[in-house]
Amino acid sequence: MSRAATLSRRGAAQALRFSARGLWRDLRAADVRALFLALMLAVAASTMIGFFLDRLDRGLTRQAGQLLGGDLVLEQGQPFAPELRRTLAQAGLTLSDQVDLVSMVSLGDAFQVASLKVVDGVYPHYGSVLVERGEGREALARGPAPGEAWLAPRLALLLDAELGDRVRVGETELRVTGLVEREPDQSAGFGNFNPRLMMHLDDLEATQLVQPGSRVEYELLAAGPSEALGTLEPLLARLRRDGVEVRDVRRDRPGLGNALERAERYLSLAGLAAVLLAGVAVAMATRRYVDRHLDTAALLRCFGATQRQLTRLFALQLLWLALVAAALGALLGLAGQALLLGLLATFLPLTLPAPGPLPLLLGVLTAVAVLVGFAGPTLLRLKRVSALKVLRRELDPLPPAAWLVVVVASLVFGALLWLYSGDIGLAIGLLLGGWVMLTLLWGLGRALLGLVLRLVTRLPAGQGGWGQALRLGGRQLARRRDASLGQMLAFAVTFFAMAMIALVRGDLLTTWQAQLPEAMPNYFAINIQPAERDPFIEVLDARADERTALYPMVRGRLTAINGTPAREAVPAEARGDNSLRRELNLTWQGELPEGNRLVAGQWFSAAPGPAEPVPISLEDGFAERLGLGLGDTLTFTIGGREIGGRVASLRDLDWDSFRPNFFVIFPPGILDRFGHSYITAFHLDSDEGETLRSLVRDFPGVSLLNIDAILAQVRELVTQVTRAVELVLALVLLAGVSVLYAALTASRPVRAHEGGLLRVFGAGTRTLSRVQGAEFAILGLASGLMGALLAELATAGLYALWFDLPPRPHPLVWLLLPAGGALLIGAIGHLLSRGLRREAPMASLGLLGET
Amino acid sequence: MTPAPILHADGLGKGVDSGERHLTILSDLALEVFPGESLAILGQSGAGKSTLLGLLAGLDTPSAGRLELFGQSLAALDEDGRAALRAGRVGFVFQNFQLLPTLTALENVLLPLELSPQPDGEARAREWLERVGLGERLDHLPKQLSGGEQQRVAIARAFVTGAELVFADEPTGNLDPTTGARIIELLFRLNREAGTTLVLVTHDHALARRCQRALRLADGRLETLALDEVEA
Repeated sequence: MSRAATLSRRGAAQALRFSARGLWRDLRAADVRALFLALMLAVAASTMIGFFLDRLDRGLTRQAGQLLGGDLVLEQGQPFAPELRRTLAQAGLTLSDQVDLVSMVSLGDAFQVASLKVVDGVYPHYGSVLVERGEGREALARGPAPGEAWLAPRLALLLDAELGDRVRVGETELRVTGLVEREPDQSAGFGNFNPRLMMHLDDLEATQLVQPGSRVEYELLAAGPSEALGTLEPLLARLRRDGVEVRDVRRDRPGLGNALERAERYLSLAGLAAVLLAGVAVAMATRRYVDRHLDTAALLRCFGATQRQLTRLFALQLLWLALVAAALGALLGLAGQALLLGLLATFLPLTLPAPGPLPLLLGVLTAVAVLVGFAGPTLLRLKRVSALKVLRRELDPLPPAAWLVVVVASLVFGALLWLYSGDIGLAIGLLLGGWVMLTLLWGLGRALLGLVLRLVTRLPAGQGGWGQALRLGGRQLARRRDASLGQMLAFAVTFFAMAMIALVRGDLLTTWQAQLPEAMPNYFAINIQPAERDPFIEVLDARADERTALYPMVRGRLTAINGTPAREAVPAEARGDNSLRRELNLTWQGELPEGNRLVAGQWFSAAPGPAEPVPISLEDGFAERLGLGLGDTLTFTIGGREIGGRVASLRDLDWDSFRPNFFVIFPPGILDRFGHSYITAFHLDSDEGETLRSLVRDFPGVSLLNIDAILAQVRELVTQVTRAVELVLALVLLAGVSVLYAALTASRPVRAHEGGLLRVFGAGTRTLSRVQGAEFAILGLASGLMGALLAELATAGLYALWFDLPPRPHPLVWLLLPAGGALLIGAIGHLLSRGLRREAPMASLGLLGET
Repeated sequence: MTPAPILHADGLGKGVDSGERHLTILSDLALEVFPGESLAILGQSGAGKSTLLGLLAGLDTPSAGRLELFGQSLAALDEDGRAALRAGRVGFVFQNFQLLPTLTALENVLLPLELSPQPDGEARAREWLERVGLGERLDHLPKQLSGGEQQRVAIARAFVTGAELVFADEPTGNLDPTTGARIIELLFRLNREAGTTLVLVTHDHALARRCQRALRLADGRLETLALDEVEA
């Protein structure tokens, strides 16, 4: 090895040792401890939320998989090819087969159309079937055995069947061994209006129900890790093009979509807020760290250190700091998420997968990024220090321009935002918005400070009392105008982050609760014949708590778009779309239905004339999937006859609403000549069993679909997530308070010096305490006002851009933040200066010499 | 044969622009310091003593003239080059001690050794602290030491690297006369024992008289003083 290489290696090792030793000694200083704590907190918060979200996400995906029946569900009208099974199995997925068909089921002279669900021995991938087998409800992780049939209670009621009876299905007979109360994968929607019969795949052939031309749906349900699904993406795209319906747990989380997505966004946002808070603390602690190390740097320059050596020394010192803080923070985060999950244990019926390594990496990255971003420009000052400073104290290098610090910090924060949210538009938007706000706040802060100064000078100049304290405290703030302004901004950002997390939480919960009121419809009544309509409604109005409007329903197939066969006219990936493979439920309405919102075009005002094209209204997601827009002509085939319509409007609707929703709405007077039935949704309490039985008996043709199970799952989920959201909120608030504490600690020497001076001039402990209290309270009040402004504007922006919630004003914030700010900062400041007030003036004056 | 000077200045000048006015602090100074010599630079407050010290130690750059340290022209070196030239060879003692408040006495003495490490660094630092009489106070922080004790730590720090040249800037300026006298005693004893070259800037004539040679800085110029000219 060359001598130069040996030397440089020795130099590097030496630098590592020196920096580690330096840091160890430096831990005696409050600012380094504050820096350490802030970084640790940033990592703890982000890893805790990261670990938690990662595990919860995977757990909830599993739950969603349960509703879907698997992580990946393929469906087509013919059996699946062995090659496809092989490919899926090789990718690490477990496969299960299911066949769905509709058939007549009979017992004695009772006949009933039932929807058959034919399952194999693997069923169900996730969850269990809640079944009554004569000994109370049992949760079984399997379907019926060969030779057995499990019936939905309604089917049993209609057939008058009991456990042990033999029902006839096609050409075979099956023994009724169970009544299915709940299937884990009960997300079937309206495809299954008929009551359910569940049987084993081995019995399917004997029924002889599968004949050429019979309507049979084959489902291949696959379960496995999401990585395995990721590798199958090209295959899935091809299957979609070939007309196979592909349901993927990552894309089609039935019913849970919005609430879950918002909760996840909220948690990531809270994680980011914690990171931002820690960043503010790092920035403040760094100022003090650098001030304190200017002398070290100058001395080292004297002793012969080069700029490179200095840069390396301090960079390494801080790197050690970041690494140790990251390691400890990650451990805390790991413990925190375990605690979080422990607290949620009763609300989390799912077994969560073990923590993955990704959040840990993100945590370390976050620590380093926060350090570089929030401390970097300030640290560069150390490198620029002149050795001559040891002789002439005034030769401190200028602090970096405030705008530079803000720009670098916000760029790094923006990058973290992007990393965590995966949404570059949002990151850039927030960044630009943040800059504009900071500029405004800077000006506003200056004005506020000036106003405070003018106000306090007008206070009566009496001896003692709060007037004097406010005057002196205000003067102290105004004297250190730039430092005060910096602190005000830092506190304002802190309050803003805390307030925003609290506000968003409140609004999210309100929205969720509004979406899931207690009396929301839990039954759908389908297939109400026109003759049954009025008597049925009469019963409902007498017994049900809540009922949606009654919608007429006509089943029709979309056969052509602008004269071209529908399958050829739509984008390739939409060829397997459910809506092209099945009949659609068409309705007519004069008014825009409740919960629908027009996003394009015009709602039809009057029935069209005989020569005019029929205007129709489409759901915008449906239109987007099939590549349809205003003016396109669609042809539907209804009972062998064709009817056309031109798209006149697009609607946005809330699929989480549990109301009857329609892709296609016609104006009144067009569809009523076709055979139609009605649909409605209503709420019936669980103790209204008699009403339900009489409905089933009096209206045997009407299908009743109970969605209590789905609702319960959604409610359960919302409860779980709400707990998590509240805990995370508490964490962020705690982080905020600790940031304030760290920031105030960092400004201790200057305040100590001022306090010492006042003491020398004869101020007593009481006066001193009041002056300091007044100073902190003014600071808190002004920061609170600015924080409220920031929070109000930012939440409005976030709701519109990210959460898809309507913006609303928060008047309480304008009251709570300034008042709370004054109290909080006042209290922390008072606590912190307690020690100072007890110190002799000599000691507190000497403190400044340490800087 | 006369040995080569350890420090050689010729035509040295320093001025600053203050607004529209140009202020000359030092002009046309010539100076030679030889190895093992002790030299005092006397001057009133504001005479530019510290500015001169800064120039001589390469902490600052002159506006005019030539300056050589250890036979190397400082003009040819940038800030980092000058720093590297000082490393391990130049020691400093300051009026306000310049100890780092978060470091113990021992750690403060170790600081310059961290830049030019020697195998038995810590043992040397302990030894030097013992020589200045602080063998029992190794782990004390500066704020736990008196002014005199702090300056003794600073002196140990100046000598610990085996420096060839020590600059002292008003080393007794912050001390009472008795403590000051003890510090001076210590400084000169160690200087003698180590065979170091000492350049001392002071307004204290008693201190200046302990040196082999004295110069007076007045009106930006240096004049040689015979030692007996230095008033008592």
